[in-house]
Amino acid sequence: MDSGEVVDSGRTVVSGGGVAAAGRIGQGEGQDVVTREGPRPTPGYPPYALAGALDRELGDPARTDLPFFPGRLRELDAAENFPADQVRLLDAAGLPAHYVPARHGGALRSYEDLLHLVRVVARRDLTVAIAHTKTYLGAVSTWVVGSAEQARALGERVAAGAVVSWGLTEREHGSDLLSGTLTATRTPDGGYRLDGEKWLINNATRCDLICVLARTAPAGGTRGYSLLLVDRSTLADGTHTPLPAARTHGIRGADISGISFTGARVPASALLGAEGSGIETVLRALQITRTLCASLSLGAGDHALRIATGFGLEHQLYGKRLIDLPQARRSLTEAYADLLTAEAVTLLAARGVHALTEEMSVTSPTLKYLVPATVDQLVTDMGQFLGARSFLSEDFAHGAFAKLERDHRIVGIFDGNSLVNLNALINQFGSLARGYRAGRTEADALATAADLGLPVPEFDPVRLDLTSRGGNSVTASLPAGADALRALADAGAVPVSLADRAAHLREVADETHERMAAHRPTPRDVPADAFDLAHRYTLCAAAAACVQIFLHNRAARTEGAWRDGLWLEACLARLAARLAPGRLPAEGTGDEEAVLDDLLPHLLDQHTGGRMFSLLPFPLAPSPDDAERPARSAAVPQLQETP
Amino acid sequence: MSTDQATTTATTTVRTPEEVREWLTERVAYFLDVTPQDIASDALLVEIGLDSVYALTLCGDVEEQFGIVVEATLAWDHPTVDALTTHIHAQIADPR
Repeated sequence: MDSGEVVDSGRTVVSGGGVAAAGRIGQGEGQDVVTREGPRPTPGYPPYALAGALDRELGDPARTDLPFFPGRLRELDAAENFPADQVRLLDAAGLPAHYVPARHGGALRSYEDLLHLVRVVARRDLTVAIAHTKTYLGAVSTWVVGSAEQARALGERVAAGAVVSWGLTEREHGSDLLSGTLTATRTPDGGYRLDGEKWLINNATRCDLICVLARTAPAGGTRGYSLLLVDRSTLADGTHTPLPAARTHGIRGADISGISFTGARVPASALLGAEGSGIETVLRALQITRTLCASLSLGAGDHALRIATGFGLEHQLYGKRLIDLPQARRSLTEAYADLLTAEAVTLLAARGVHALTEEMSVTSPTLKYLVPATVDQLVTDMGQFLGARSFLSEDFAHGAFAKLERDHRIVGIFDGNSLVNLNALINQFGSLARGYRAGRTEADALATAADLGLPVPEFDPVRLDLTSRGGNSVTASLPAGADALRALADAGAVPVSLADRAAHLREVADETHERMAAHRPTPRDVPADAFDLAHRYTLCAAAAACVQIFLHNRAARTEGAWRDGLWLEACLARLAARLAPGRLPAEGTGDEEAVLDDLLPHLLDQHTGGRMFSLLPFPLAPSPDDAERPARSAAVPQLQETP
Repeated sequence: MSTDQATTTATTTVRTPEEVREWLTERVAYFLDVTPQDIASDALLVEIGLDSVYALTLCGDVEEQFGIVVEATLAWDHPTVDALTTHIHAQIADPR
């Protein structure tokens, strides 16, 4: 590595190192992270310094002696046991401090950092990731609307390892928050008494604190609910009881249970924000948590593709490796392209929390719908690729594939399911169509969000809005982005075929927005074609996000799949195919997705190097036992090794 | 907690409360797919079928129509046509 790069990487690591200094993850190892990459003209990526440090701390998943060994996780899952050792390891690694914003004494400076930290856990095991990150969900309302004193006090508890839960749903009412019946009644001393139940709550039994949505006006309604942060240790005996854990299809080891209150007294200081602001706060907080859910999907997608690629390299069919068969190869590169698309969309959304905060009412449902759905399909496709092995709960990859397939199903459901998210977009069709037609884009903020080399401004929760009046800067930038790619193609900087694909998607986006503008809101059941339109909108938004990530980083990143805009062309080809399912190729055009084949070397490079599948260089984990193990090669993929 | 404030494009047209009420009534009637005569100005919007989440998007229409900036939760805090009229008219007359 030349010194110039060390300096450059050193600079970039500083911003990540600031985070690490407050938390414990990656302290003092920033330089090492980068130097292990060897000579790479592509610059480093600071958030990966932090995530890479956690990855190393958790250790190589193939090591049988560590808590994240898949065989151990499978046993816990089979016995429906909570992954206590794994959660303890995350606590010891200092992850909880990253759930607390720096302004409240914690280590959280950027949601981009948190996204990758959670992803590192999720690529090992979703149950553990969901069980641990729940504390962020329980705490987020306090960050959004709590007083400085409340936030500081909770921040200290969280950083010290307290488990915080978020009690929104009830047994009879599902995700309809406005029908909740748990009540908080004012008491003469100014506090509240709680009566009622919350059900299907992650960590309801294990938590130290729970943020409860309670009815504070007898008639309910949008201003009839409030959030209260309940410290269970202060409740009188007999006023609260855990409700038994539910048995679930996936995440079997997680504590999905409930809690019942009977005359539980809490002080006035438990109230978060003004009385009656509960629904509003939840809707604002969900804009952040839905963004973080994508990191669970990215981790699961990485895991699934890693197992499948390993199998493709190892398995022999007709005297060839499976991966040498064109169709099999295409399955892997399609999955890789879809995963890179999901990553680009998620990166822009996580940085958008800081830079495009006012638009999160659009960004978060787009992401929360698109990314889990994309990864669900990816996992299904990889299951087909693996064949019967994907069903083996023990004898293939230690049952990791079957487990992640079960576990991932929940990601698309919790924290707002697909219909909830599409409906949130349908409600905003008017402003989205207006903004697109006017080409309304917050250009500076979009540039900040899309340029991965720039630091993001501090997140200000006050800017979260329940509806985006300006529409979506990312999607509205697609026409200009397509024009920019055409200009680059004319100058010979990118292939003409890339500009053509972008132009095609721009036409699709134009038509989609015209149909959105014509959509008439209805008080009755939302028509099915509106959901189809919203689905198409999310794919157009994804195309726009990929184009922006490419345009704002192509100068700094020229190697690997960045060269000639390869990854972008592959991602756009896939998005076009998903926007026109079942369409026969036009005569004479041949294989419109042939560009996917060019991704294979990059996919294999990241696989054999043990790096996360990503647009960005993930630091290699220096395994102390590398010397004793056979060198990783294409023929001996990591997950297939006999430990 | 109000972020209501004057915009540089604030309309100079003087609007009477009746004009505001008429526009709002038409808007709500359009959404509910009924005639304006069916909308009682003192009825709770949520009870006559205006979805509480959809009601959040009313702010964009109000801003575009009257050139003022209002909270997204406008229709939550002023839950009838009468209450909305009073609030919006006050904002037009004295944009903060």
